[in-house]
Amino acid sequence: MDIRIEPRGDVAVVGIAGSVDGLTAETLLSTLQLHVEAGGTRLVVDLSAVEYTSSAGLRALLATVKEARRRGGDLRLADINPNVRKVLELSGFATILKIYAAVDEAVASYEG
Amino acid sequence: MTRRSPAVGVRVFRATAMTDLPGLLAFVDTACDAFSADEDVRFAMRLAVEEVFANILEHGYRGNGPVEATVDGGPRCVRVCLRDQAPPFDPADAPAPDLRSPLEERDPGGLGWHLVRQFVDELEHRPAPGGGNTYTLVKQLPARAPDP
Repeated sequence: MDIRIEPRGDVAVVGIAGSVDGLTAETLLSTLQLHVEAGGTRLVVDLSAVEYTSSAGLRALLATVKEARRRGGDLRLADINPNVRKVLELSGFATILKIYAAVDEAVASYEG
Repeated sequence: MTRRSPAVGVRVFRATAMTDLPGLLAFVDTACDAFSADEDVRFAMRLAVEEVFANILEHGYRGNGPVEATVDGGPRCVRVCLRDQAPPFDPADAPAPDLRSPLEERDPGGLGWHLVRQFVDELEHRPAPGGGNTYTLVKQLPARAPDP
């Protein structure tokens, strides 16, 4: 799994590539938490290159979005492949996370 | 009856810790390839095997311990068995996941077994007479047109 964070104004686009599983989810969680604790509370997670996630990945996203919202920000998801989306929907995450078709749309959702 | 099987030497995989997960998932991929499973079946089996394995380590052993994975199948299904030596645990007794609470109250516990049930067609648990558990996961393969 590879994680890249790119600023877009006051939003950070987090690009993840590869599998988010029980072994890699901890790296994802610690990377996101460090970013949020440093004040980067507006996040867009680009999932276009994530072909697999288990519940371990969902726990990392849940912990991060809770902390980001507590600090006045949010974590929004973009460009999700069908099987990963199925995991999110069956886990009830589609109702608590904002999901967008494209990264640009998710970034723009923070305006206004 | 002749069954198609994965390449010689990869029918059994032994894992003891989360660091073995990449090997275990590669083993599942190889099994799915051997049975000509499509991407959706492969995804479902990977997810189900990881969730069962993670539960065995976290709740069964509360740490590391031996887990043996074997594969079987045919033209209609892929079957993975995971055997452990942990205290008996029937997934029917797992707590129901919280799928509806607001974000602030959402507890991610119980999601693993819930996802297993959603992604595979059969989940069977058998306690072993001498201790331990066998979890059997079956995923049906989509019907294919017969060979010409």
